[in-house]
Amino acid sequence: MHNEQIQEHFNNRNVTEADSNYFMVDIAPYPTDGWGKFKRVVKRSFRGELFVGLWVVLREMIRFNIHTVKYPEEKMPIGPRYRAVHEMKRLWESDTERCIGCGLCEKICISNCIRIDTKLDEDSRKEVTEYSINLGRCIFCGYCAEVCPELAITHGGEYENASDQREQFLIFQDMLTPLEKMKAGTQKEFEGFGAITPHEDERVKKTPLAY
Amino acid sequence: MNKEVSFKIDGISVVAQKGESILNVARKNGIYIPTMCYISKTSPCASCRMCVVEASGMDGFVLSCNTPPIEGVEITTNSQALNHERTNIMKLYDVNHPLECGVCDKSGECDLQNKTLEFDVERQNFSARDQLRPLKKWGLIDYEPSLCIMCEKCVHVCNEVIGDDAIEVQFGGYKSTIIPKGSELLDCTFCGECIAVCPVGALTSSGFKYRANAWELNRVPATCAHCSAGCPLEYETRHSSINGADEIYRIKNNFEFTSLCGAGRFGFDFENRVSSNESAFNSAIEALKEAKAIRFSSIITNEEAHILELLKDKLGIKLFNEDARVFAEFMKSYSSISGKLHHSGSLDAIKQSDACIIIGSRIATDNPGVRYALTTAAKHNGAKILYAHPMEDALMQNVITQMMKYEVGTEEGVMALLAHAILQDADLDDSERAFFKELDFGYLCAETNIGEEEFSLMMKSFARAKKRTLIIGNDLIAHKRANNIAKLAALIEKYSDFSLVVVPREVNTLGVSLINSLDCDENISNVVGYNAKGSFVISSLEGANLAVPALNQQEGTVVSIDNRVLPTNVSLEFEGYTLNDIARSFGIDKAETVEYTKELNKNAGFKEIAFDDLENFLSSMGEDNRGYLLDEIICRAEGNLEELDDLPEFNGTIIYQCDPVLQFNNYTLKTKQLPKENFLRGSAQFSVAARISDGDMVEINFGGTKIQRKFKLDEELKGTIALNPTFDISVDASRYRFEKSKIARVM
Repeated sequence: MHNEQIQEHFNNRNVTEADSNYFMVDIAPYPTDGWGKFKRVVKRSFRGELFVGLWVVLREMIRFNIHTVKYPEEKMPIGPRYRAVHEMKRLWESDTERCIGCGLCEKICISNCIRIDTKLDEDSRKEVTEYSINLGRCIFCGYCAEVCPELAITHGGEYENASDQREQFLIFQDMLTPLEKMKAGTQKEFEGFGAITPHEDERVKKTPLAY
Repeated sequence: MNKEVSFKIDGISVVAQKGESILNVARKNGIYIPTMCYISKTSPCASCRMCVVEASGMDGFVLSCNTPPIEGVEITTNSQALNHERTNIMKLYDVNHPLECGVCDKSGECDLQNKTLEFDVERQNFSARDQLRPLKKWGLIDYEPSLCIMCEKCVHVCNEVIGDDAIEVQFGGYKSTIIPKGSELLDCTFCGECIAVCPVGALTSSGFKYRANAWELNRVPATCAHCSAGCPLEYETRHSSINGADEIYRIKNNFEFTSLCGAGRFGFDFENRVSSNESAFNSAIEALKEAKAIRFSSIITNEEAHILELLKDKLGIKLFNEDARVFAEFMKSYSSISGKLHHSGSLDAIKQSDACIIIGSRIATDNPGVRYALTTAAKHNGAKILYAHPMEDALMQNVITQMMKYEVGTEEGVMALLAHAILQDADLDDSERAFFKELDFGYLCAETNIGEEEFSLMMKSFARAKKRTLIIGNDLIAHKRANNIAKLAALIEKYSDFSLVVVPREVNTLGVSLINSLDCDENISNVVGYNAKGSFVISSLEGANLAVPALNQQEGTVVSIDNRVLPTNVSLEFEGYTLNDIARSFGIDKAETVEYTKELNKNAGFKEIAFDDLENFLSSMGEDNRGYLLDEIICRAEGNLEELDDLPEFNGTIIYQCDPVLQFNNYTLKTKQLPKENFLRGSAQFSVAARISDGDMVEINFGGTKIQRKFKLDEELKGTIALNPTFDISVDASRYRFEKSKIARVM
């Protein structure tokens, strides 16, 4: 119900209607002659608006009520959907890497910064031998996380990636969830692009098997 | 009798040729009927039942792939009932199909994936108890039975197009599977055609498996660089490791209409990885200034051949290429009788013919494209195939209907007898009539070891044939009496309904023979080798003084056995100099090699078409639109048949220069996946005659060449002729392929 009201409110953009929330801003007419313009300049210059601002700063300084985040000691919390440096997730069941090497992230990457190499391993499974993301080129669009069929590559909250070496911009092992984290059960699922929607479990149906 | 049937598909009036299926007519008219198991180049498998349609006046559905229409019938390809049927078929296919699309090699180009989505399979109401179906490893081919949908495409191509007949269906309801025929492991020529046609990821290339996916690979359309069949293929490239340069991952082809042999499919990594530098380039220029001749191989493009010809004129030197020279000589003699420059046949003509003579070639290894065409003719038209050669070939056993085994060296006599048999009732002129009159049949039959009854048997089996083809192999081209043999071949083509196909030895032997004016190879020093031996070697093979790009790193054209000028493209980059750079420093000035495409020898039938204007595709009905066909050139027919020479005798231990399956030349030798068995292979009889036994290291001495090889006893061979591979050595292409040899065991 509430949603509908809001929708209604925003959809009605007829400014001429009496009950609309739009109103005309009271603007004085523009001066047209030279004298009028001069008067406006004088009026704007000497009204003392500068001091209004100065007073606010002085008042807050005296009160010691400062809102500045003291970065890097303090950091702002980041939303779960924030798209910062990538993470490679592990499977909850076996702690092995989720990535199956399908190469869809490499294909979809619009800045061509993902490279992947796979091979057949001894157990006749597909093994990802090399994986790299060139963060110097990455535009953090989130397509890779969205396309990943295994929820293996996701974005994380880590946005501090200054380095004096481009090579250090991303190493696969740094992206991969550490095993200690898996043991502690603290691997976080990504909620942004590509993540499954809440209550997905209830919507999935089993394949009927007659035996 | 009316040969055309007119009827309606979805309300559109269409016309079918007699015997044509409804599906084919629909496809011709752009009407879509879904299929899973249909493949144009084989007879219908009729295993998927996806192509069902409704026909007016019929209860139930009709299989459109193997049903010809009747006059006036109205066909419906789309209705709710049909859609329901097709969805159910897809559901059945999906039962227990492993959900491993993420890693499957076929994912992204999988028929099962596509059709499952197309028919909107959103729920599964069928189930079956899954069973253990382990992966089978068959060398270059892997078979995953759990992914197999039993469409039987692989069995059909193996049997009907390739002729290996190496796999079959083991019937057993849900337990059905594909098994190698008659043995535990797959024993075949590893053409990999089964991999190409597999609509799912059941049959895969073991060398490619899990290395890349369909969506990661770049496709480069090109022409196969290994033999003169000029098969179309696509190189699929991608970066090698995360920082590596591009490499070719696999070869794909338009399997719906064309085929590839194993060398084409698995022998793709023959590119030259060596780069060339300026000092090598400068010394190449110096060497050319000093040189008296350039010796080159036919594994080059037409444009390169043209540049070599320009260099010849500019520098006043000679050009040596024995392979192309003997071919050119052969064709010159042919023209002197036939009055035209090019042979009349093509691979398509062979495929459509119902009677073929193949003489003087172990064709299955010399030119697999011809072999597949013969197989297609035999299986689809019931063609009678006469195989004339001194040795039986086990690979051709399924296809040939008559074996004509002649004595080594007597090809001229065999051709004369063949011509006599074929041209019995022909309207010959007097001199030709005189030629046949003078033949000493007793002598010829005795020396060639072919009885008269063999010819009458041939003529009897060919009697009802309408499209006939004569295929001439390299034994005849490199024969001492090649000139007269060519004239006899021309005579057969001229006075009978036989079309003629002369099989060139290398990929562009035909092109080189048309473009270059070649000199007889003299054993002189100061020869620059271009992809060949010389005192200074410019080559795309290892050990060159100056490295140049291989055929998969070049753009240009080659001329195939069909007399078709085929474009090929750059699949991998080459760092360094090309022949064109060398030519430019001699003042032969064109920026790109392919700018010469429109300047190729007009007198030989080349057209004035720029490289970039050449088409390179097969139409959706399979018509070949690659490049262009050489113009037919009429020339004077002033030649006369010569009297037959005495037929030579070959006694003792004879070797036959013949590569094993999957090998052609030094380039295929370079590749990673192809087997490199360089054994001397001979029969038990040969081993007794040469006093050697299986596994012995032997020294083979023939025509001034000495090489050492291991001897391998081959159960399939008979007689006293052994097969000597040449892909790892270079042989004089002008020499007759049978050689008297001395064979001694090495201790």
